[in-house]
Order: sequence, then structure tokens, then C-alpha cells
Amino acid sequence: MVRVLLKYKGAVVKEVILRNQVTTIGRKPDNDIVIDNQAVSGHHAQLIKNSNDLVAVEDLQSLNGTYLNGQKVANAELYNGDIVSVGVHTLDIFSDKKRDAEAKTFAVRGRSMDETVIIAAGDQKKILSASDKRAPEILGGFIVIEGSAAKKQYELSERVSVIGKQEGSAIVLSGFFSPSIAAIVNRRKDEYFITPSDGKKLKVNGKEIAQRHDLKDGDIVEVGKLKLQFYLND
Amino acid sequence: MELIAAGKTDTGIVRSNNEDNFIVDEKRGLLVVADGMGGHAAGEIASKIAVSVISEHLLGRQRFFGEYNNLYSPSTNNLNSALRLANSAILEAAASSPQLHGMGTTVAAAMICGNRLTIAHIGDSRVYLVRSGNIEQLTDDHSVVNEQVNRHLITPEEAANSLSKNYLTKALGISADMEADLSELTLLSGDILLLCTDGLSNMVTDEKMLEAIMLAHKPAAICDLLISKANEEGGKDNITAVIGSIGKTKWHSILFNYMAFLRR
Repeated sequence: MVRVLLKYKGAVVKEVILRNQVTTIGRKPDNDIVIDNQAVSGHHAQLIKNSNDLVAVEDLQSLNGTYLNGQKVANAELYNGDIVSVGVHTLDIFSDKKRDAEAKTFAVRGRSMDETVIIAAGDQKKILSASDKRAPEILGGFIVIEGSAAKKQYELSERVSVIGKQEGSAIVLSGFFSPSIAAIVNRRKDEYFITPSDGKKLKVNGKEIAQRHDLKDGDIVEVGKLKLQFYLND
Repeated sequence: MELIAAGKTDTGIVRSNNEDNFIVDEKRGLLVVADGMGGHAAGEIASKIAVSVISEHLLGRQRFFGEYNNLYSPSTNNLNSALRLANSAILEAAASSPQLHGMGTTVAAAMICGNRLTIAHIGDSRVYLVRSGNIEQLTDDHSVVNEQVNRHLITPEEAANSLSKNYLTKALGISADMEADLSELTLLSGDILLLCTDGLSNMVTDEKMLEAIMLAHKPAAICDLLISKANEEGGKDNITAVIGSIGKTKWHSILFNYMAFLRR
């Protein structure tokens, strides 16, 4: 199987699996891969797959040309790790077909049995810089509305935080009968969810919950004697 | 916090050699797994260099490597420095011999300092936290698939079935300017840490890993169970599992350490 990652300035725009014998690339909407950019010709290039799953790129006499690993090509076979440039977009080729090690212009390395592959340095940079530019993680937490707590506001930056009596809890519950772990709050990227600890009472927006609840800005959580409001920073 | 830990590695069913390596150091609270890659024996060497350099760097009176990041604690910075050193050690070794050229490795490292946990990772080896009957992955894989999930290009379900899971975007030994992902967490007594290579996480679902962890008690028994589950599911890759169980430091162990100290 051959996969193509369409990227714009290093960021992945989409992933395409080449199922058809011919996959056309161009600015016009009748192409299989449409790249809406002035640098791309109406019908710019096409990818042709033969019966052996070997893919070749063919330039369709485009104005700005089609480039393979930085070199202008009219027609060229594509191997794993190759990068095809069309205007300012790039197509990264993931294929079972590998170029001979010596002929490789850049490194794509396989774990034994050709299992894991590290993306080539140039390509890797693109992915990396794209991921580094990812917006900083959005943090959230709880504001104490009712009940006595050490702080008025708790921002939860750790991936897993505990509300409970136990030492190390992010939000510490006081009182002899408070559970050591009442609930767990998980943070995943910009999302938070709360899960009651086994058999412990937890109310969200007035309703008792037994399962994971995805927290939304403004949700009211009642745990022990505390009433907390969830917030998410903008 | 007191750490009781164990680690096991297994070649799996399909592969002929094991390119994984790990280190378990209860006393210093250090857990590391590494999954090497590269032809011939290079993968094994890369992962071996990674775990031993990290361990030795943290053991010795270390010279700090690279830039200090004020956002993180000193121990997180030390661990990061150890990974940087391991990276250059692998690059150096690879440059010294054509057979080793191109080798690399993933690393997932966890270090316990008081009740604080420090995590550094690069590649697709993972750290999980099991707390109060829930399992949570604490690391984000450096793989093309995961980057796609992060950009909402594909769903996590599609990612789990993706064929391009084995495309890494970062690994040790690939370039001099490698930077690991760092994170910190407050530990609670009763927490269980799992570090594993993709030979486990690609074969066994998070839920099944949790089941195994809850079923067995001793860290070594959990590791055995996890590995046998991965092999039951096909054992397509080398499997490494490290389990660390966190408990309160007991008064008798403090006393014992004190006695040991006196006896020196």
C-alpha cells in the first residue's frame, strides 16, 4: 500500500491512500487531490500505480513544474521517504518500496524487518516545527464556590490529579470521613474529564455520576463538602 | 516515596533478536525502557547505550548537558540532560562504525524524587499511570499517526488501526538537536507506573493492560502477565514492560537505611 501525506509549510493537510491506478493532482476541483493554490496548475501532475504497487509521478506539463526530492522531474518512480513538491505543497510518500540504500539522498531508516521507520531529517524537521508551533496547551481547573479549601482556585496542570484526602492530592479534602481518593481528574491536550473513585459519591451539575464525565467550562462539581466550578482558560 | 519495581523483556514470537533494553533501579527511583532500531545488531546497541548512559549520568556527579529549563524541576532537568548525553553518545558511536550507521532508539524514562515523578520520553515507548483503578497514558507518542491525531486529521480509533503507526517523528541518535518531551506529576501512595515499548502497547489494549495490573500483585508477576498477553496477541515485536509500584516510605525501611548507613 502506498500512502501520501499532503503537507503545506510542514503541516499535514491530509493523508491519502492510493487506491486507484491514477491519482490526479491539481488546482481544479475535478482532481483527486485538490490543491487550491495559485502556484499549482489546473491539472498539475498525476500519480500512477502499476500492478506491483510501484508508484510513479508524472508532471502534466505544469507551469511551475513537479519536483522529486528537490529535482525537477517529468516522470519518476517513487519510493518510501520521497518528497514530491508541487508549488509550495509537498507530498510525502510512504511506500513498501524502498530505494537502494546507496542511492538514498536522505535517511529513512528501518528497524529490523523494516518495521519502524524514522522520518527523514528534512521531513522530520517539518513535522517537528509544525508540532512545536502547536498552540500552547490550554489549562483549566476549579474555582471553589462552597466549602473550605486551602485555595480559592486550583489550576490542574498535571495529567492526572486527585481530589481527596490522601497526601499528594491536588485538591485536598478535609474531614475525618472524606475518602482518600474521591475523584480523579485527567487532562488530555485541551480536554479534562473527571471520574469518581470506585463507589465514591460525585455530583456534576446536580446529578450523581458513576462514570467518566467530560468537563465543560462552567460545570459544577460537588465532592465531599466542596462545591467547585470547572473553568477552562481561553 | 518508596519504589518497588521490576522489568522484563521478551523477543516476542516473530522477531529473531531483541532490540529492547531497560533499567530498573529501585534505590534511585529510576525506570527506563528503550526500543532500538537499525540493521544488524545496531538497534540493540543503540538501546543499550541509551539506558546505560542515562543511568550512569544520573549516578555520577553530572556535568549538566545543554540548556537548563526553568519551567521544570532540577531532577527533570537532570533527566533531560541524561537523554541529551545519550543522544550524542549514540550519534558518536554510529559515526565510528559504518555498521552502526543509522541506528537509533526510543526512550521512556521515569524518575521518582520524593513524591514527584519526572518523565522524559522520545519516540513511541510509553509511560502509563495506574491510579485508583484507572489507567492513563502520560506520554504522547512521537509518531506520524499521533501527530495527525493531535491536528484532528484522524480520530484515535483510526490511529489505532493505522498501518503507518511505525513512522516515528523523533528518536534518539537521529540528529544532534533532539529534544525530549518532559512532564512532571505528583505521586500518591498506591500509584503504579508502567513503562513499555510498542511491542506491548501495539498488541494489548490499555484496558487489558489495566486488567493484568489489577490481577497480579507483585511487579515481576505483572510484567510476566503483560508479556504473555502480548505474545498471545501475536507478539509481533520485542516486548518490554517495567512496573513500578509506589508506596509510602515505611518507618522500618528508614530505620533500616539508617542502620545500613551506620554500618558503612
